[in-house]
Amino acid sequence: MIVTFRRLLTGQDSRQGLWFLPLTIGCLGFLWLLIGVDGFRNPQNLLNLITQAIPLLLVGLGQMLVILVGGLDLSVGSVVSLTTAILALDAPGYVLLPTVFLVAGLIGLINGLAITRLNVHPIIATLSMQIILRGITLILLPTAGGVIPEIVKQSVSGRLSVLWLAAAVFVGWKLIHGSRFGLHLFAIGGGVAADRQDTASKYGVADRRNVVLAYVLCSTFAAVAGVFLAGRIVSGDPNVGLLLEIDSITAVAIGGTQLTGGVGSLHGTIIGVVMMTLLANGMNLGNVSAFVQTIIKGSILLVIVALQSRKKIGL
Amino acid sequence: MEPLIRMSNISKAFDSNVALDDVSLELASGSVHALVGENGAGKSTLMKILAGVVQPDGGSIHRNGKAVHMRTPKEALEYGVSTVFQELSLLPNLSIAENMYLGKEPVTKLGRVDCATMESLTANAIAELGLDLDPTTLVSELSIAERQFVEIAHGITADADVVILDEPTAALNAADVETLNRHIRSLRDRGKAIVYISHRMEEIFEICDTVSVLKDGRNVDSCPLSEVTQQSLIAMMVGRDINDLFPNKSVGTGESVLTIKDFQVSPEAEPLELSVHKGEIVGLAGLEGQGQRELLRSLVGQHQPHAGSVTINSTSLPIPVPQTGGIRLLQSMGVGFVPEDRKDEGLFLELPIGFNTSIGLHSSKSELSWAQGHHKTVAETMSSMAVKAPSADSLVSSLSGGNQQKVLLGRYLASEVEILLIEEPTRGVDVGAKAEIYQLLRDFTDSGGAIIVLSRETIELIGLCDRLCVVHDNTIVSEMPAAEATEHKILDAALGTQTSAA
Repeated sequence: MIVTFRRLLTGQDSRQGLWFLPLTIGCLGFLWLLIGVDGFRNPQNLLNLITQAIPLLLVGLGQMLVILVGGLDLSVGSVVSLTTAILALDAPGYVLLPTVFLVAGLIGLINGLAITRLNVHPIIATLSMQIILRGITLILLPTAGGVIPEIVKQSVSGRLSVLWLAAAVFVGWKLIHGSRFGLHLFAIGGGVAADRQDTASKYGVADRRNVVLAYVLCSTFAAVAGVFLAGRIVSGDPNVGLLLEIDSITAVAIGGTQLTGGVGSLHGTIIGVVMMTLLANGMNLGNVSAFVQTIIKGSILLVIVALQSRKKIGL
Repeated sequence: MEPLIRMSNISKAFDSNVALDDVSLELASGSVHALVGENGAGKSTLMKILAGVVQPDGGSIHRNGKAVHMRTPKEALEYGVSTVFQELSLLPNLSIAENMYLGKEPVTKLGRVDCATMESLTANAIAELGLDLDPTTLVSELSIAERQFVEIAHGITADADVVILDEPTAALNAADVETLNRHIRSLRDRGKAIVYISHRMEEIFEICDTVSVLKDGRNVDSCPLSEVTQQSLIAMMVGRDINDLFPNKSVGTGESVLTIKDFQVSPEAEPLELSVHKGEIVGLAGLEGQGQRELLRSLVGQHQPHAGSVTINSTSLPIPVPQTGGIRLLQSMGVGFVPEDRKDEGLFLELPIGFNTSIGLHSSKSELSWAQGHHKTVAETMSSMAVKAPSADSLVSSLSGGNQQKVLLGRYLASEVEILLIEEPTRGVDVGAKAEIYQLLRDFTDSGGAIIVLSRETIELIGLCDRLCVVHDNTIVSEMPAAEATEHKILDAALGTQTSAA
């Protein structure tokens, strides 16, 4: 019993990583916000929290897939922006929506192939992609504006956002903990983290194909987040996805997922997303300037990763 | 009768190093086939080709007379070839059951991994091997021997006709080996073909019925094991009389230059003592993973020992040696450390020979001092070490294994160290170069140097060293003059005290 609790607390000897501690801190923070910050208790604000959390949750889930295999995707924010820009084009929804997902899939495919076939480091591959997409987005939509298809607007209104949340959690669970694919991601990441890149493939795991698939899914998740955001802001915005890379990586890292790969959990990522959302919400209510907020976010990522156990999977 | 597997005329080269040259191998059903040869003879490469991990440059593989291509480990499994790899390749972040069924997990109707089935099958498989482990335990929590057993269980429970065991007993004690042998016999009786790679002669004669010998990437012979003796087998592996390979023993030793006292590699280990004298080569023998490596690496700060004192040339060494700069500190005290993995830890493969040699001379200077060319020293070292290369500007990666090893040794000899700590002096080096390297090491001690060497190859230790220390369970359990040592004696010492250790 005591041993189990100690393991829970330290995340030691577990593939799920350190998630219990962030959960505790998150709950304490939530209580503090409830009691100490005036605007927070407001039911409307609490509902807003959910809609604020959904894009980050979607992007974070995708990000987690590639982090599990020891990768990283810095292009997710740009995919989100590009998605809203495409949706703001002058065309019917039944053309734009499939286009969005085709484009996202293609972006993930290019990322994945560059990393697995051309051996480009994930940071460089996806950083290049980030810049390329930013350019394309600004060509399509130089400033925020445009009209979003009606169907997108309707699908994110009011109570429907809870449905998005449930769907995101279910798909995330299915991918990460409920399928062979998820187990294979852990296996590939475990090999990478233990400095034995090809271990999983020795067991007959299609490692390259699964890594490529992880990047495709990551971009696709980001596109879904883009659709959701476009519906919320009712227009396209070439800058809406800025910093989502960092936010998603931070959320995943807070949730106990090791950035070296092979260790992490869905509930950890959800906890991380909730914490990031609470933090942003609390800082907004407390009138912390946006500039200071980025300083705080950056520092959190640095500290969290520094605190992550450097010992490889021995844990 | 058509053999189950026939590998014909297999060739494979890694860059400029020929690993396999026109090698053929036939595996029959219901037999345990020993594959022997020195390290670097190509055994592992040949098996990796059969397991689909490495693709051959030429040659063909037939299964039951039909040509097959194994492009990936998965395809090899589909053709019924299952491998227990030499290097531990379990994934530490997965449970035992997940490791056992990775890549072939049973799934439920809903597409989830069927953990219950997986775990009960695994529990049966490891219980059969006499292990009492919870299948949900993460592999990172297992001991080395337990991991080895899990790996073996993984290999032999796969529904395969061919089971490759690449040094399966490296981390096992005598009782475990007996358990393993029982299973190998039962596999054989069920008509499977088993390939057994091992350096331990006793084991080979105990369990195998056929033997194939490889040397320097070529076939030497294949015959029933009953037709050979241990001595003739070793002679076949080495390719010449062992006595020609090794230089003379020490002519006489001088004063002690390195003294280790009350040294504990780990907190639980018995304290050990060791002193090395001028003019002698001391070998650390023992089974793999028993702490030889940690002992040696403790001296240069690459492992943090528990306690002890070390004196080098009557200067005492601070213990623990700092990890960063430890090697440089030792070098300033006249001690050179030659790491086992010359490609990753020893050499700058993509830089020229000259750079690799002179870096040892530069390392003692301050960071901002002028970097001299040291052309003369480099040229002298190259000629005294007989490095076969067009010039000092040739990239180290273009050299053969033996010449790379000479360049690495040359670095320390050029910087005029007095004591050399060497891990695996001839790993992946062909026989001719081995003899040259042994002679170079002997010349070094004859001119007043001292060497501690660590090797997996017992024959090498016996032939090269003057004195052997057998390491078991992180301490020295036996010491013997190399002239009186035999493989048997060393193995006895290495296993003898094993009753208390699990």
